[in-house]
Amino acid sequence: MALQEEDVRTRNRSAQRRVDQTTDFRSGNEMAAKAAAQIDYHVMGYFPITPSTEIAEYLDEMKANGEHHIVMIPADGEHGSAGICYGAAAAGGRVFNATSAQGFLYMLEEMPVQSGTRFPMVLNLVTRAVSGPLDIRGDHSDLYYGLNIGWPILLAKDPQAVYDLNLIALRLAEHAEVRLPVIVASDGFFTSHQKRRVQYFTQNADVQAFVGDMPKPPIDALDLEHVVTIGPYMNDPDLINTRYMQSEAMYRAEAVFQTIASEFAQMSGRYYDVVNKYSMDDAEVVVVLLNSAADTAKDTVDHLRAKGIKAGVLTPVLLRPFPKRAIQEALKNAKIVLVGERADAYGGHGANITHEIKSALQEIHANATVLTRIYGLGGRDFYPDDADHFFELCLDALAGKAVRQFDYYGVNPGDPNLAPAERTQSLPKNQTTGFIEVAKDPASGQLKVKAPPLRALTAKANRMAPGHGACPGCGIFPGINTFLKGIEGDVVVLYQTGCAMVTTTGYPFSSHRVTYIHNLFQNGAATLSGIVEMFFERKRRGEIKVHDDVTFLMVTGDGGMDIGMGSAIGTALRDHKMIILEYDNEGYMNTGSQLSYSTPLGHMTSTSGVGKYEHGKTFQHKDTPQIMAATNIPYVFTGVETYPQDLIKKAAKAQWYATHEGMAYGKILISCPLNWKAADDAGHEIVGAAVNSCFFPLYEVEHGITTITYNPEDKNKRIPVSDWLATMGKTKHLLKPENHELLHQFEEEVERRWQRLKAKHENPYL
Amino acid sequence: MTSDLRSHTNEAGFYEIRMESIGGLGANLAGKMLAEAGVLQMGLNGSNFSSYGSEKKGTPVKTFIRFAAPETEIRSSSPIEEPHIVAVFHESLLRTQNCIAGLQPDGTLIVNTAKTPEDIRQITKMKSGTIVCIDALQISVEEKTRVNTAMLGAICHAISFLDENAVKKVISETFGKKYPALAEANLRTFDRGFREGRTVSYEPQHKEIHVPFAHPISTLGYETQPLGGAIINPGNSISRDLSASRSGFLPAFEKDACIHCAACDQVCPDMCFVWESRQDERGRAFQYLKGIDYQYCKGCLRCISACPTDALQALREIDGYADENRVKHSIGA
Repeated sequence: MALQEEDVRTRNRSAQRRVDQTTDFRSGNEMAAKAAAQIDYHVMGYFPITPSTEIAEYLDEMKANGEHHIVMIPADGEHGSAGICYGAAAAGGRVFNATSAQGFLYMLEEMPVQSGTRFPMVLNLVTRAVSGPLDIRGDHSDLYYGLNIGWPILLAKDPQAVYDLNLIALRLAEHAEVRLPVIVASDGFFTSHQKRRVQYFTQNADVQAFVGDMPKPPIDALDLEHVVTIGPYMNDPDLINTRYMQSEAMYRAEAVFQTIASEFAQMSGRYYDVVNKYSMDDAEVVVVLLNSAADTAKDTVDHLRAKGIKAGVLTPVLLRPFPKRAIQEALKNAKIVLVGERADAYGGHGANITHEIKSALQEIHANATVLTRIYGLGGRDFYPDDADHFFELCLDALAGKAVRQFDYYGVNPGDPNLAPAERTQSLPKNQTTGFIEVAKDPASGQLKVKAPPLRALTAKANRMAPGHGACPGCGIFPGINTFLKGIEGDVVVLYQTGCAMVTTTGYPFSSHRVTYIHNLFQNGAATLSGIVEMFFERKRRGEIKVHDDVTFLMVTGDGGMDIGMGSAIGTALRDHKMIILEYDNEGYMNTGSQLSYSTPLGHMTSTSGVGKYEHGKTFQHKDTPQIMAATNIPYVFTGVETYPQDLIKKAAKAQWYATHEGMAYGKILISCPLNWKAADDAGHEIVGAAVNSCFFPLYEVEHGITTITYNPEDKNKRIPVSDWLATMGKTKHLLKPENHELLHQFEEEVERRWQRLKAKHENPYL
Repeated sequence: MTSDLRSHTNEAGFYEIRMESIGGLGANLAGKMLAEAGVLQMGLNGSNFSSYGSEKKGTPVKTFIRFAAPETEIRSSSPIEEPHIVAVFHESLLRTQNCIAGLQPDGTLIVNTAKTPEDIRQITKMKSGTIVCIDALQISVEEKTRVNTAMLGAICHAISFLDENAVKKVISETFGKKYPALAEANLRTFDRGFREGRTVSYEPQHKEIHVPFAHPISTLGYETQPLGGAIINPGNSISRDLSASRSGFLPAFEKDACIHCAACDQVCPDMCFVWESRQDERGRAFQYLKGIDYQYCKGCLRCISACPTDALQALREIDGYADENRVKHSIGA
């Protein structure tokens, strides 16, 4: 324990205002949620992203048990979540959010809007590597994008600090001298998912007493007695003045933080200075690290001190505003300073923290040599050995040995013998072509598909090789593979982020036997449309020689069609020659089963919990095929693996349209045994039951004309919706008497949509 | 109790446990319950976390627990390298993972297996220390629970400073909140795990760790990785072995009962079915199901539900069956 912290603890033992605290064993994410629940924010707008997702999940669980009143709004993406938070903050209440990595970057344009117009809130940034390639583990590359957005940033090195700084952050944000939104950043996984012994204020009333009533906002969109214009059109010479006010507020945040932190120490016994110093008083060799890695390095300092080496660790608690004076004071006698950075500023000869420390030292003409090591990118663990190495570098430099000023640490050249010996060749034509026939009937203009039985189609090459890492019984692969049985010839696929993407391309392995590209799910459709248009242009210029046209296919989950809806609609309106295939498993399964807009009413997910105060999802499922049909693309369909011939024929038609006319879109319902809480072998029957209950009708919309391709009523197969719901653990509660009304609402909606579909089937103009 | 803990801790003051499991067996929950017993019930300091990636159910996962004296500060958040106890929740992991890496020379290896400690010693080539074999799968089948609480019993038995009543209290609280009946079954499972382990100790010949822990090193590096992380030999996932994802059952194929309808092939998420083209007596080519490539089979048994005949049957997996009956895919990469 740092001496300074210990001093304060001793000092405060007799303090009057110490409050009751409960010792518990919790992770960083749990403690962020605990703080938020105790503060009882008005609104949280959120969108799930690993590793911050759990914060919303824990809050949802607590809400189901009646532990807080926060209005939890599941946004359509992080850009949307930031918008919700901005609006809610402008509307004069307390606002909370949590995100990571791409989520943070996606909301980035909103961040300066919020700080620039001066609306406080608290955002937990659970740090994670920025894509691409996509990496879900922890580094600081997202955090570094936040350095210039005008939000004060507090660094929480462990679960205890996550709790404590969340309480302090709100006070800081709302302080009259500051009035800025604040980020609390903690390390993804290392802190967010690691359980430690922690303390929290036993009584919510004590938390409320600390944060106080919300100060009356100087600008309030809901002050109906005083109208106000928020966010005017402002050019020169005015904007620079707004920015100057903002800059001054940011610098004032340092002293305000210290005042609030002192008051917090009185209550809790835990004191946070703007920097955390460990054995720094006479330190000659110093390692500077952000967040959890700094703690690891303290053990090394103990070893070095035992050997008489004057080593120390310095870590900022306040990152914005940068605590310049405290850093100057701490490093004024240091000889070698190594800054370990878990992110790079490419081409900058050292990343951001290096340069800020260098400039702080230059101002006081300090003599220290500052070294930079980029380490731990993509969540690479920081072991005690690694901290040892950093100090060894410092000692080498101190001894006058040549040490590179800037370098990466922990990289590996690779063994040439393990490099791929040859490139994968494309699938032979005879294994992918000649199985399916599609012909346009000249008289009727209808497409006629001839597809052989499944047995014959086993001779057709799978576009995926075995060896992917999906859960046992995953319905994605029977769904996609059955669809691909209907697709002839060469295929280029784009997978949006999701289970299918993550489980088939875990580096250095890929299961795809056709060319595959990933892009983030806000943007897959646009990306594939770029590929399509480049294909035709390069073909026109004679740069690509192909006999037949290639089929371009985007594969996405229902989550990707939420956050990527705008991109998909834009792409559909441009009517590129491509297919979008959506596998719908009724939730964001890749991030741990949060609700999607396609999750049906009342279904349980990790953000639509079931408890005394919550009964699953609160709004009806999205009708994506109808949304896409409204773009007037030539072909829209639905399908399930349970009716393979139906799905294969629709795939063949989709291919025909995507090579002859324009875009095709299809949704397949696929099972997720894990998150539907069903047996691994039950998926085939469950999605069949969804069809026969008329929840998921099989139909197509061809040039605007709707045809139901399988009508369970005609076949005498129709079952009640409750029979389908009885097949899954996630819907069991809906069959209980207390949820009768909810079930009834859902059944009515299913029936209404089914009757409407039948009417469309009857009438080509509907 | 704390002095007992101190006599076992490493140089840094920690007593460390590593669980080797696959997603879905409940190691994460077992680790949480074990750590909570030490920290919340017994007043120790501790930390607990799992290895995270894109793990899905069935993929290997590690869970870590550190215990320390109440006043010892826990700083390191990095994975445990040299544990006192390794608990293997799934026997097949002994084949596919280096489970005993870094285990202390006088450490304890606990394995969910019907085998004997001597068998396990031969498989792992462990030189010294203690081996505990516990048939957690059998216990969990009999008690209608999961293997995690049986493993917890065996782990608790192996840690002298840990009070079994503290662990039982956490089990009661964890399950009792929602499902009181489940709490009782899990307490019985825990007790059986605590009592039914077969333990053999082998004296350390020297103080060295027999299989050193090595930080993971990437297969491809900055001199060998294709640009931008692209994979130029896709389809190479075929070299992966997913058999450790099975948690006890696999489909057995009875060729004579097969009508080659391909219903199994269509519903298989893992592309395990291997086909061949043969001519019938009239010289027409037909597809025939040759067999199952068990290297990719995760034991979901979807194929059995889909099979219209008796050609596919669920089988409790026995050692060697999959290797003997595997029909290998012939596709390249």
